[in-house]
Amino acid sequence: MKYKDYYETLGVPRTATQDEIKQAYRKLARKYHPDVSKLADAEARFKEINEANEVLKDPEKRTAYDQMGSNWKAGQEFQPPPNWDAGFEFRSGQGSPFGAGGTFGAGADFDPSDFFESLFGRRGAGAGRRRASAQGEDHHAKVLIDVEDAYRGAERTISLRAPVEGPDGRIEIQERTLDVHIPKGIRPGQHLRLAGQGNAGIGGGKAGDLYLEIAFNPHSRFRVDGADVYVDLPLAPWEAALGATVDVPTPDGAVQLTVPKGSAAGRKLRLKGRGLPGKNPGDFYALLAIVVPKAETDAARTAYESLAKAFPNFQPRPNS
Amino acid sequence: MNERTISSAVRGSVVEEDVELTIVELCRACRTSEHEIELWVVEGVLQPRGASRESWRFGGDALARIRLATRLRRDLDVNTSGVALALDLLDRIAELESRLAR
Repeated sequence: MKYKDYYETLGVPRTATQDEIKQAYRKLARKYHPDVSKLADAEARFKEINEANEVLKDPEKRTAYDQMGSNWKAGQEFQPPPNWDAGFEFRSGQGSPFGAGGTFGAGADFDPSDFFESLFGRRGAGAGRRRASAQGEDHHAKVLIDVEDAYRGAERTISLRAPVEGPDGRIEIQERTLDVHIPKGIRPGQHLRLAGQGNAGIGGGKAGDLYLEIAFNPHSRFRVDGADVYVDLPLAPWEAALGATVDVPTPDGAVQLTVPKGSAAGRKLRLKGRGLPGKNPGDFYALLAIVVPKAETDAARTAYESLAKAFPNFQPRPNS
Repeated sequence: MNERTISSAVRGSVVEEDVELTIVELCRACRTSEHEIELWVVEGVLQPRGASRESWRFGGDALARIRLATRLRRDLDVNTSGVALALDLLDRIAELESRLAR
């Protein structure tokens, strides 16, 4: 187990006041909140910040943490010294904020590290949380699919980790897998509700529902915006100028598209109803781009020169 | 002959299109209280159909919105109007980003 430097995580000195800790936490939480931040490691950072705050915002836990001394370095191999927590109450169970059955201040998603648990005990998983009968909680998970799956429908096997009540009444984490049908026409950000596939009920209570958020893998060609799908369509200058019939890839297979003569780069050609299927199917858009071939041979250079001669009055920059 | 393979895969309903939720169902799905849902309605974050609390029906998109609002309120300690503002701004960012990506 590695030592965690909670002060370093929040970027405050060990002498920081509770107000300074609160301020530092708020600022970092806003910066790294996974719902707000676009940073790739936002979720991991946010977890670390939350854990640091859980300890440092609580004067009792902070004092206990401080007692281990300031010579530890983040990442150093660590075992809690024997009796390091003598005189503190957070492990003693009843009435303590962190004893068995207690709940954390930081919301349902708080997921402490081994380091945290070795110091302050495990969260409520365990004795004492028995209720006579209760409906199981609804469970939420995320599923990644490809844009092609949304055109055709697909099946995905997903694995879920959920708390289950063991024979002795303790709650343990169990893993299970589930085959799920992804319906044709599903859009990114939509949710599937699977009735009764959530967490098991307790004491004969009904099982909760499972909610799956659908997200799309990024595709090398297609971009999805709501129900509409976009593709870049590169054209040769003569295809754009004279018009052409070209093959365009769609998630549903290639289609032939007529490019009107005189098409400019940036023009969108729409294939109505060829976006994601559904009650209100989206549209498919080919976004035209013009690719200019390099003049690498004498013949190519001659061709460009005669092109220039053919357009003596052409003004590519009309306003300059 | 009509041959079809019957799959054992579980089928669900698309929340945003096929599902309407009562306040009780929404609370359960979002693990939140009826009081909190009321706060979001007052703030205009949610616009249910129906005149009274008992007859409120929420579109499926309320689900993701409430979960997001609840996380922001809890994790960032922002009040309801602050969260409402954040949600509006996040919507605008998402719209601009999708326009950029097209």
